[in-house]
Amino acid sequence: MAASAGTFAHDVEDHIHPEPEGFIRKYIFSIDHKVIAFQYFITGMVFFAIAGLLAELIRAQLLKPEGAIMSNAAYNGVYSLHGTAMVWMVIIPLVTGALGNFIMPLQIGARDVAFPWLNMVSFWIFPVAGAILFASFLVGAPDAGWTEYPPISLQGPPGTTLWCVAIFLIGISSTLTGLNFMVTVAKMRAPGMTWTRMPLFTWATFATALINMVATVALSGALLALFLERVYGVPFYDPARGGSPILWQHMFWFYSHPAVYIMILPAFGVISEVLPVFARKPIFGYRLIAFSSMAIAILGFAVWAHHMFTSGMPPWLQLPFMVMTFLIGIPTGVKIFSWLATLWGGRLHFSTAMLYAMGFLVTFSFGGITGIFLAAVPADLHEHGTYFVVAHFHYVIGGGSVMGFLAAVFFWFPKATGRLLDERMGKIGFWLFFIGLNGTFFPMHFLGLFGMPRRYATYVEFAKTLPHGVAQFWNVFESIMSLGMVAATALLFFNVVWSLKWGKPSGMNPWGARTLEWTISSPPPYYNFKKIPTVLGLPYNFDQPMPYRNLDNEQDPIPVPTTLAPPRTPVPA
Amino acid sequence: MATTTVVPGDAHDLDAVRARYENVDHAYHEQRDNRLLGILLFLVSDVILFTMFIFAYIYLRNSVPNWPPIVEGGHQLPRFDVNFAAFNSIVLFGSGATMHFAMESWKHLNRPAFFRWLIATIVLGIGFLAGQAYEYSSLAISWAGSTMGATFFTLTGMHGFHVFAGVVFLCILGFQARAGVYTESKYFGLTAGTLYWHFVDVIWVALFFLFYLW
Repeated sequence: MAASAGTFAHDVEDHIHPEPEGFIRKYIFSIDHKVIAFQYFITGMVFFAIAGLLAELIRAQLLKPEGAIMSNAAYNGVYSLHGTAMVWMVIIPLVTGALGNFIMPLQIGARDVAFPWLNMVSFWIFPVAGAILFASFLVGAPDAGWTEYPPISLQGPPGTTLWCVAIFLIGISSTLTGLNFMVTVAKMRAPGMTWTRMPLFTWATFATALINMVATVALSGALLALFLERVYGVPFYDPARGGSPILWQHMFWFYSHPAVYIMILPAFGVISEVLPVFARKPIFGYRLIAFSSMAIAILGFAVWAHHMFTSGMPPWLQLPFMVMTFLIGIPTGVKIFSWLATLWGGRLHFSTAMLYAMGFLVTFSFGGITGIFLAAVPADLHEHGTYFVVAHFHYVIGGGSVMGFLAAVFFWFPKATGRLLDERMGKIGFWLFFIGLNGTFFPMHFLGLFGMPRRYATYVEFAKTLPHGVAQFWNVFESIMSLGMVAATALLFFNVVWSLKWGKPSGMNPWGARTLEWTISSPPPYYNFKKIPTVLGLPYNFDQPMPYRNLDNEQDPIPVPTTLAPPRTPVPA
Repeated sequence: MATTTVVPGDAHDLDAVRARYENVDHAYHEQRDNRLLGILLFLVSDVILFTMFIFAYIYLRNSVPNWPPIVEGGHQLPRFDVNFAAFNSIVLFGSGATMHFAMESWKHLNRPAFFRWLIATIVLGIGFLAGQAYEYSSLAISWAGSTMGATFFTLTGMHGFHVFAGVVFLCILGFQARAGVYTESKYFGLTAGTLYWHFVDVIWVALFFLFYLW
C-alpha cells in the first residue's frame, strides 16, 4: 500500500482497498460504512415497528378510564419499554448510525469512516443490546419508565437489570460511534473542504458526535452504579442506606438532556440539506446554522436540571438552569428563522422529502415553544408529570427527529439504492403521519394542563374532574388518530420494499443537489470516490457551477434536477 | 454567501487552487493519521466516566453531616490511611517517570535503555496493584456496607482495572517492540501506551486527593 517515498507521480488508486468477497464479509460483518448504515436502518426499523406497537397498546389501554386491555403492572412494563426502545434502539441508532454513517463520509469526500472496524463493532453491539432489552419482557419488564428513577428501579422486577445491561451496551456503541465520527470529520475531509465549507448535515453530525462521545459515558457511569446497587447491593441511590435518588437524576439527565440533542441535531442537518435543494436557493445563514449546532451541543450540557425542578432543588439553583434552557431557544430560533428565510422567495418543489421538511418546521417549532413553557419554573411546577410533557416531547421527537429522519429517507434513498421511492405513496404517507401525529399529541396539551398525569394505567379520578366524559372522548380521539401514524409507517415499509424492485431509476443526481455524495453513482461504489475531489466552496449556490475539481464523473456545471416538475408560476425577479 | 468575485489567491481563483492542490491526493493520504486523535478522544471519554463517579462521591459526601459517615450502630467509619497510600502513589508516579524515560530512550534510538525503562514501568505498575490489593485486604470497611465503601471501592477499583489493563498493554507493546513492529519513525503504539499510562497517573492524583487528603 505504501507509495514509494519521494515520487510525485502517485497513483491514487493505490489507496482503494479491494471489495471483500463472500457473503459474510460483504453483508454481515462488513466494515463498509454504507453497508453498516443499511444494517442500522433495517435493525432500527424493526425496533421501530416493535416500539410503535407498544405505543398502540398504550393507546388501546387508555380507551377506557379504568383501562381497557391490561393490568396496571403490564401497562408499566409496556410504556417503559416503549420509551426506552424509541430513544435508544430506534431514534439514536437511526439518526446517528444509519444517516450519519451513510451520508457523512460521502459528504466529506472520504472513502470510509476513520475506524471502519470500530464502526462494525459499534453496530453489532446494537442488535445484541436490543435483544437483551426486549428479553426483559420474559423475566418481568422494567416498570419505572424510560428514566428508571430509583428507588422504584431498585425495587423493580428482574428485567430492570437487563435494562441496565442493554442501555450500557448501546451506550458503548454510541460512544464509539461518536468518537469515530469526530475523528472522521476532523481528519478525513477532502482537500479544500475547510470547516466552513462543510455541508450542514456534516456539521450537525459532528456536533452530535461530540455529545455522543462526551455525554454517553456519563450515562454508562450512572448505569454501572445502578447495576452494582441492584446486583451487589452497593449503596449509591438507596436513601435508606445513605445513598441519594437525586444523584441518579443528576447523572441520568446529565446524559439524557444532551441526548435529546443527539436525536434532534441530525434532523436539523437533514432539514438544512433538503430545504435549499427543493427551494432551489442557497441556504440562508450558513455559518449561523453551523455554529448554532455547536452552540446547542455545548449549551446542552448546562441545562440538565430543568428536568428536576420538582425534585426538591433549592430555588437559587433552579434559576440558572431555567435561564440556560431559555438560552438554548436562541440558537434553535436562529435555525428556524434561517430555514424560513431559505424558503422565502424560493421556487418550492413539494416532493415528499420537502413535505416532511416543511412538516418538521411546523411540528418542531410547536414542540420547541412548549419546551420554553416547561423550562419556566413556575409553569413547570404545574405541568411536570402531566400529559403536557408527553405532548411536548412527542412533538419534538416524533414531529422533529422522526419527520427529519423520514425526510432523509426520501431524500437519500435514491442515492443509497439507485431507485426513487414512490412519490404518491410517500405523499399519502406524509399526510397520514402529519395528521396522525398532530391528532394524537395535540389534545394531550390541554389534557395535561387540566392535570391528567402521565404514566398512569388508568385515569378514573382525572375523568371525574371534567364534565361530559370529555377526558375519555379525547383519549379515544387520540387513540384513533394514532392509527394514522401506524398506517403511514406500514406504507413506508411497503414503499421501501416495493421501490427497491420497481422504483424509478434515479440516476446520479435526481434532485439537482450539490453536496459531494451526488457527484458519484447511485448506489455509490465500494470505494466511494475513485479520485478524492477538491472542494472550492460551499455546496449551496444553485446558480453557480459545482464547486469541485477532480471529480470521478463529468458533471453538468449547474445540475438541473431530473425528477422535479418545473414550478407552476415563475418567480418574479 | 454567494460570493462570485474572484480575488487572486481566493478559493474562487481556480488556477491558484489547482496549483495548491497538485498532488493533493498523495499528501492527503500520506499525512493523515487518525489514531492520535482517536486515542485522545478515547481518553477524554474515560475521564468523563471517572468524573461521574467523582461527582457521585462528592455529592454523597456532601449529603450527610459527617464524613466518614456514621453507620448503623452509631459508630463513625475510620479515615483511610494516608501514609501507605502516599507510598503507593509514589510507586505509581515513579512508573510515570520511567515510562517517560522509556519513550525518550526510544526516540533517541537507545533500544536497550527503552526495554530497561519499560520493564521498570511494568514492575512499578504491578507493585502499585499489589499495594492496592494489600490496602483493600487491610481495610475495615466493605464495598456494600456504606456509601464511603461504595464510592471508594468503585473508583479505586475502576482505576486499578485501568492500571491492570495498562500493564497488559505495556507488556504487549514490549513484545511487539522486540519483534520489530515499531521503527524509529513509526511507533504510534508506544505513543498510545505512554499517553494511556500518564492518563492513569493523572486520574490517581485526583483520587488520592479526594479520598486520602480531603
